Amino acid sequence: MNKTVKITINGEIFEQSVPIRLLLSDFIREVAGLTGTHISCTYEGVCGACTVQLDGAAVKSCLMLATQADGHEVTTVEGLAKDGKLSPLQQAFNDHHALQCGFCTPGILMNMDEFLKKHPNPSDDEIRTGLIGNLCRCTGYAHIVDAVRDAAKRTR
Amino acid sequence: MYPAIIEDYVRPTSVDEALKAAGKYEAGEAMFLAGGQSLMQAVKSRLVRPRCVIDLQALKELKGVSAGGGGIRIGAMTRYVEIMSDPNLKTAYGALADAAEHVGDRQVRNRGTIGGSLCWNYVAACMPAANLAVGSSMELLSATGKKRAVMVDDFIKGPLETARADDEVLLAVTLPAAPAKAGSAYKKWGVVTDALPVIGVAVYLELDGGGAIAKARLAVGGLATGPKRAKGAEAALAGKKAGDPGLAAALDKAASEIETQSDHWADSTYRKNLIRTLGADVLASAFARAAGK
Amino acid sequence: MTTKTGTNWVGAKYNRKEDHRLLTGKGRYLADLSMPGALHLVFVRSEQAHARIKKIDVSAAKKLPGVVTVLTGEDIKNKIKPMPQPVVQPALVAKYPRHWPLAVGKVKFHGEPIAVVVARDKYVAEDAAELIQAEYDPLPYIGDPEKALADKSNRVHEEWDDNIIFEMTFTGGADDASRAKNDAEVERIFKSADVVVRQRFRTHRCGMTPMETRGALMSWDDSDGLIAHVTTQRPHIDRLALSDILDIPAEKVRVIAPRDQGGGFGVKAPFYREPILVAYLARELKRPIRWVESRQEHLMAVSQERDQIHDIEIAASKDGKLLAMRNRGIADCGDGCEGVYWGFLMPFLGSVELPNAYDWPIGDVKLKVAVTNKSALSPARAFGELPTRFAMERAIDLVAKKCGMEPADFRRKNLVAHLPHTSITGEYFDSGDFLKVWDNLMAQVDLKGFRREQEAARKQGRYLGIGFGLGVELSGVASELLVPMESQPGYGAATVRVDPRAKVIVFEGDAPQGQGHETTVAQAVAGAFGIHPSDIVVTTGDTGTTPFGSGTIGARAGSYFISAAVMACAELKQKISRFMIHDLKIENATQDDFEFADGEIVYKKNSNIRKTFREMVERIIMAPINMPAGESGGLEHTAFFEAAKPMICFNADCAKVEVDIRTGQFKILNWTTSEDVGQIINPQIVEGQMQGAVIQGLSNTLFEQFIYDENGQQLTADFENYKLANAADVPDIKVTHAPTPCPYTPLGSRGIGEGRPSSVPGTITNAVCDALSPFGIEIAELPLRPNQIWQLIQNAKKKAAD
Repeated sequence: MNKTVKITINGEIFEQSVPIRLLLSDFIREVAGLTGTHISCTYEGVCGACTVQLDGAAVKSCLMLATQADGHEVTTVEGLAKDGKLSPLQQAFNDHHALQCGFCTPGILMNMDEFLKKHPNPSDDEIRTGLIGNLCRCTGYAHIVDAVRDAAKRTR
Repeated sequence: MYPAIIEDYVRPTSVDEALKAAGKYEAGEAMFLAGGQSLMQAVKSRLVRPRCVIDLQALKELKGVSAGGGGIRIGAMTRYVEIMSDPNLKTAYGALADAAEHVGDRQVRNRGTIGGSLCWNYVAACMPAANLAVGSSMELLSATGKKRAVMVDDFIKGPLETARADDEVLLAVTLPAAPAKAGSAYKKWGVVTDALPVIGVAVYLELDGGGAIAKARLAVGGLATGPKRAKGAEAALAGKKAGDPGLAAALDKAASEIETQSDHWADSTYRKNLIRTLGADVLASAFARAAGK
Repeated sequence: MTTKTGTNWVGAKYNRKEDHRLLTGKGRYLADLSMPGALHLVFVRSEQAHARIKKIDVSAAKKLPGVVTVLTGEDIKNKIKPMPQPVVQPALVAKYPRHWPLAVGKVKFHGEPIAVVVARDKYVAEDAAELIQAEYDPLPYIGDPEKALADKSNRVHEEWDDNIIFEMTFTGGADDASRAKNDAEVERIFKSADVVVRQRFRTHRCGMTPMETRGALMSWDDSDGLIAHVTTQRPHIDRLALSDILDIPAEKVRVIAPRDQGGGFGVKAPFYREPILVAYLARELKRPIRWVESRQEHLMAVSQERDQIHDIEIAASKDGKLLAMRNRGIADCGDGCEGVYWGFLMPFLGSVELPNAYDWPIGDVKLKVAVTNKSALSPARAFGELPTRFAMERAIDLVAKKCGMEPADFRRKNLVAHLPHTSITGEYFDSGDFLKVWDNLMAQVDLKGFRREQEAARKQGRYLGIGFGLGVELSGVASELLVPMESQPGYGAATVRVDPRAKVIVFEGDAPQGQGHETTVAQAVAGAFGIHPSDIVVTTGDTGTTPFGSGTIGARAGSYFISAAVMACAELKQKISRFMIHDLKIENATQDDFEFADGEIVYKKNSNIRKTFREMVERIIMAPINMPAGESGGLEHTAFFEAAKPMICFNADCAKVEVDIRTGQFKILNWTTSEDVGQIINPQIVEGQMQGAVIQGLSNTLFEQFIYDENGQQLTADFENYKLANAADVPDIKVTHAPTPCPYTPLGSRGIGEGRPSSVPGTITNAVCDALSPFGIEIAELPLRPNQIWQLIQNAKKKAAD
């Protein structure tokens, strides 16, 4: 019923025997203790709050078993800032007031961080479409779009 | 909202190994896990309770789109994000790229696979309807080593049912080499953007030298009973050119021959209207693609 | 990025202080908190809407390894006092249904908790919950509020003699005779009026469903009592309620709302049944208990609001002056079992706010609220008034059209022109300038140009429309209204503590969930003391350390809480000034003669006389000798701000749409607002509140809907079925301002944001109907879905053809 998995999260290796049914999101939150990855829709995988990067691709960690990530690299929101400095995307979120309660924010950052690598010069429509997998209840999305657009500019 | 106990997890590195792993269990007890974007919902809500999960992620031979003389082969583990941007799926089989591009969201497309979607065959999924229109074929391999090809029309059964046996793995979705003037398109409408469709319509057209439809396949998704082809409409489309008023009549035919349900998203008559309006849009796209525009 | 200069922090763009931790994954939400040895609690919820409980078999669940305890209603009914308890019962005359945290005897809605499982592991807790078997004798489902009001034989609460939880007349005075006279006068006006409009409007069940669900983590200690971390907007109220219900002395209950909460919007304001059980079990088992609600539970049990029907009648003169209004409201409040609100307070306030900002000579407004076999309505931003605003803003368009006037012109003509004003339902509007806000909106919107564009487009078969709506909203709730409405005080409270290193800690008893209080109050306090906002920290939501507050509700912060903080600062500044006069031996100075700026305290009459803020606070706190007569050391003050009368803010919306008549689908071309938020403290936060509120209003109007089938089964308990707007579904909102500072708050600020979604459904529906005016389509029912619009177009075409 248990399997030993070895998952690299933000560069740190976590090797642990876990129940096979343990979700990756729970592994990240409870085994690795990285609680920036959030759970909102609980089972469907439609809210995007649990989005992390698996080998660089934005995925919903609640729709995976931890064992599926065995041998892979996971990046969570805790891995975005380097040397205590916010990434350009994180800084743009602060500058544009792109978060209110902040619950959806880590998932949005992990999705948009990958999005910007693929779309360095996105249109507003592309940003909005790119955000479909992340529900936000507070902001009405406009400031998030502003922040992503600005982050693209800062990164280019 | 957590999975029931799962006894074993295996990650085979060959298809044979995958089939052997499945063979250790009674039918239905072991489940192949592709991208998991549907199956994991079902596992978490305990709609299904696999004793063993066979994770197909390491099967490299099931990944990627390749085109050769005989047509196009899409590995069952090819993700939506790869399908939506593949250069081989722009014209004749553009419906598959359209569908892939609007499945769920970026995160789903980063993980979800064409094979997973077809084998799960959720009623409102986009991939089954788009495949019905383009007339793809499913390449299946059984534990006994028997390989068979099943046309999508025969593969797609009722909701959550397919012709795949429990001891078979879907290897690939194959498409014949397309004639010169062929185009297809898919479009859906849901209450919110890129949601599971209230109605989705896919059409595949082959045009003759004069630009008239030589062959058409039209499929509708978002139906309570799963995706269906509108064969009366397909017949009515034959011989029509872009802009022909007869196209609307063919779509009326589709709307009348397809049985639509009423539910809290839309009533039956509105669904029929969506078949007409989405149908007009996909016909226009398919004509343009077939004409190389 | 800080763009302010000098020390004028109030009104400056200042990046939120909360953000760094939230952007780096270091937020501490309820589910992120842990206690060693915490057990996991899950609820088993009723699968039936209305049924007698025959038997609940928990034996298999109890036997499962890892399960610590399993309880049903029978196990707790003699151990936990039933609700209602006075602390969470309003002073309004109503029936307050008796209930326990777990169903006793019968279940009253699909999703009512019937049992609870506590286990060492959350996965195992769910395994056990599955093993619990309930047997029921079904009872007839009561789902239609109008039928429920008339039905005395089939009752949700059998101890009552009907299904009416609350009814009220809001107009015509306090006694029957004056009301009868008022109603007769209204009837006389309707009989003689040039223009009369009658229409039924219905707003569906939908709500606010924050991204973070509810939860609790509680521990018990025999000497210290209960420590209860709860997702809540009202920690101090929860504390009193837990104390009363579980008979724990109040000094032994400490409620802590997590510093970070993932949205609330009203949903976390009630005193719910689930935390009672968590507290009870923490005490019984003497082990920490943790409950994190699933989304499915959340959508079944809470987050449902609106659900009102309004039969509205309006009389007007033919030159477009409103003469009278009559409304018969009906609300479906579900089972009503919910502390503080009881399902009916929202429709109650909705009816109070029905007149909106229009100047009504007279009206007759009545409301009846039915209980049904559904989840109790729980509050949602635009509390109770989203349905009444929809009804009123649509009705105003109908009257305007009947008078042959532009709806925009009609609105302006009938706005309350002079404040203060008391509405026909008794709502007090303290200050502001509605016409200024309206004229600012119209200056942004080229109405005449749009009409030309609309006409040209119609010739090409394109259907453009413009719609307006407006709303006067409460800026917090004064005690005058909150005491009768919720048996709670309305004042805002803040403790300001200056420390010897010249840092300032502000203690707030309310519990924000994303509104940015840490930033706005830091700006206000920084402005008062002339220091930097980064030197100010804010502690919220811990009843062990903060002054009493009724909660983060009803847009209170900008008007009440921040005002209290500013008052506390003023008090401390005066003390510091008295020490300045004393220490520097300044002749003839008063405590008001000092300016606090740039970290210094400067004597205004001679700027050479100055001290740094830090020097002075260190002296007062750490060196309390040689003091002015009668003074003590230390710098800390708690202030309470109360408004004599309720205060308001005001806004108006304009939307432009294009409808595709082939499908009934429409695109919002743009959305412009005009706001009176008084003195702005942080422009970005204000803008964020408005953007978010308008989109929430749109999401409610267009996408979200709770649906119960004919047997009371709730079909929409997940996000696949309860649809929230995503980023690709909604427009950017252009927010503009026409402020009038509030004369009753120290900064001139007005609390904003809570009521803001309410003008949205009327605005967007008016725009769609305007686009479809060639078809004569008038929509009166929400949600506003393409299916309905398309059907109305088909009906109109058919009618035209016949």
